[in-house]
Amino acid sequence: MYVLTDVTRLYQKGRHTVPAVRDVSLQIPDGEWLAVQGRTGHGKTTLLQLLGGLDRPTSGRIELDGRDLSRMREAAATRVRASSIGFVFQTFNLIATLSAADNVEAALVPLRIGAAERRRRTAAALESVGLSDRARHLPTELSGGQQQRVAIARALVKEPKVLLADEPTGNLDEGTREEIMALLEKLWRERGLTMILVTHETAIANRAQRVAVMSKGRLTIRPVASTASGPVPFATSPGQEAPQPAD
Amino acid sequence: MFFIRYLGRELRRRMRSAIVIALGLALGIGLVITVIAASTGVKNAQASVLRSLYGVGTDVTVTKTPPAPSAKGGPANGQRFSISVGPNGAEVCHNGVCKKGAQTISTLFSPGQAALPYSSVSAISKLHDVSAVAGGLTLTDNKITIPGSAGPSTSFNAPTSFTVQGVDLARPNLGPLSAGTIKSGHNFAASDTNSNVAVVDSNYAISNKLKVGSTVTVGKTKFKIIGIVTQAQGSNPPQVYIPLARAQALATNGPGGKHMTGAVNTIYVTAASAADISMVQKEIKKLMPTAKVTTASSLASQITGGLASAARLAGDLGKWLSILVLFAAVAIASLLTMAAVSRRVREFGTLKALGWRSKRIIAQVMGESVSTGVIGGLLGIGLGVAGIATINAIAPNLTATVTQASGLRFFGQGPGGPVSSAPNASHTVSVPWSATVTAGVIGLAVVLAIVGGLLAGAFGSWRISQLRPAQALARVD
Repeated sequence: MYVLTDVTRLYQKGRHTVPAVRDVSLQIPDGEWLAVQGRTGHGKTTLLQLLGGLDRPTSGRIELDGRDLSRMREAAATRVRASSIGFVFQTFNLIATLSAADNVEAALVPLRIGAAERRRRTAAALESVGLSDRARHLPTELSGGQQQRVAIARALVKEPKVLLADEPTGNLDEGTREEIMALLEKLWRERGLTMILVTHETAIANRAQRVAVMSKGRLTIRPVASTASGPVPFATSPGQEAPQPAD
Repeated sequence: MFFIRYLGRELRRRMRSAIVIALGLALGIGLVITVIAASTGVKNAQASVLRSLYGVGTDVTVTKTPPAPSAKGGPANGQRFSISVGPNGAEVCHNGVCKKGAQTISTLFSPGQAALPYSSVSAISKLHDVSAVAGGLTLTDNKITIPGSAGPSTSFNAPTSFTVQGVDLARPNLGPLSAGTIKSGHNFAASDTNSNVAVVDSNYAISNKLKVGSTVTVGKTKFKIIGIVTQAQGSNPPQVYIPLARAQALATNGPGGKHMTGAVNTIYVTAASAADISMVQKEIKKLMPTAKVTTASSLASQITGGLASAARLAGDLGKWLSILVLFAAVAIASLLTMAAVSRRVREFGTLKALGWRSKRIIAQVMGESVSTGVIGGLLGIGLGVAGIATINAIAPNLTATVTQASGLRFFGQGPGGPVSSAPNASHTVSVPWSATVTAGVIGLAVVLAIVGGLLAGAFGSWRISQLRPAQALARVD
């Protein structure tokens, strides 16, 4: 479970201070699918990076299962990412020189698993995303949708507790977008993941159990069209009402 | 293994820059190998010249500089030759006793070196760290023909001379003769100590049509040739060897000087080990404070000519040039590696997001650099071997000139006024040499390659260690 308390992230740009995230407090229970929606530049990706321990807040606390990510040393945060957090990026971020199987296997290297076990788990991960027959292909030999499926396999091969997806369908056409979202939803249900998905599209956000809206660094929770598991706790930044999303 | 797969694929992707880096390192390493091999070859050639001068196994030589000339300009021992040649006739005076008319002056003397007592040899042999010692007399046999008279256009014939070595038959394993091989006849026996027998150098024998059984005149005394000796090609050995006792009886300490009975002018010393040479040098200097005690490395400075120039070239210019090229190669490799790391910032950010520690990513980059360095090292060894082969195929023989003062100074009244000359006995020989590659040099090349790769990777690694994952992922390629 994630607990965020008054999390703020400020960036210094010359003489100006830019607040990417402002006073965000939020709880994300285990197994929840939270969408983070908002316009470009309003702090969605920054929030995701803070949740993944890729960045440190300027102030506030971020706890994951009781461990304070915001004050952890880099080595410890890296270990948490290695074992518990999977990432899916908008631009796939596959390593161009490695095959699909090697890209997936790269996520298991930090876990010091034996080579045979790594190969077995890699094969299973590629099978789960329907790409067993593309294991030896390089990223340049795969379509956008296939590349994103490899990235999803890479994120999930280590059986993480948390999946952080930053605009996973942002670079895909409409048909492939639906394909990827269906795959993510299926894997979320099957594995009981805590999934936090950043998107600027309302249709995609509404598929989640809960939607957090980032607006100029501040977070509010808005109602979704329907939720499968019933009402969920609201969270806001101080003094803010829940705004309507931009699109 | 994942590490090797990733490394190999990354090098294939960056084939062009990997080749540039490898070639740069190869050039630097190849140059280092070639220069070291050439330098070793030149040093070996120097050593062979020295060996022939002083014999195999000599680590230290002991000589003595003669005292300064007297105020009258003659030798300090007061002995004096004077020669006057003019239109009215010639006169040669020795210590005030004069002889007129045409004549031949024949002398056997110690050129430019003062006498040392033979008892010093025994004293030195008792020193700690000395394993062998022998005494010797290095002499010059000079003959000058004085004409009966001379006009303004008369030119004097140059003295004829040859070098003579008095061999210590009590200790025959040191000294110039010990470096040679008897080609015909036989060497001295211990019983030849007081015999008029000689061994001659093969080149001298050929040029003077001498063979075993012929005679050679040394110090106005006939010696029977019992053996012909060959020395290393390009060396400058003495031309005639006679027993030390005979040399002592016939030679004088400078022209017209005292006889050298019980004296030597060179003592050859072998140290117990190379590490003891310096200590032995100090101990002898303490025992014989007025003597000149030199080691092989300081003797090398006596050699001039092409050999000495080549030694300087290989040692100074060659060394610095190869260091400069190697430094430039490593600098270029470092810049290219840093550029490659910069292009892969997003990739490394992704790996950090996957849970790769900085150390793991650095190990990957270092592995790529070291691999490129090793490839460069192997190419460099190939270039070095090719360089050595080229040198050995085209390099000419070097010349070595060893100049020794004859000790003869002529003061006289010639047709054109006062005449004074001090001819030197100087020998220029052709020294064949070859660049030599050893296992040590190959090992050095491998070490340089790995170190070059590590240094190049170190700069890229520093970049990675400064990387923040969030910033890296935000990079647009």
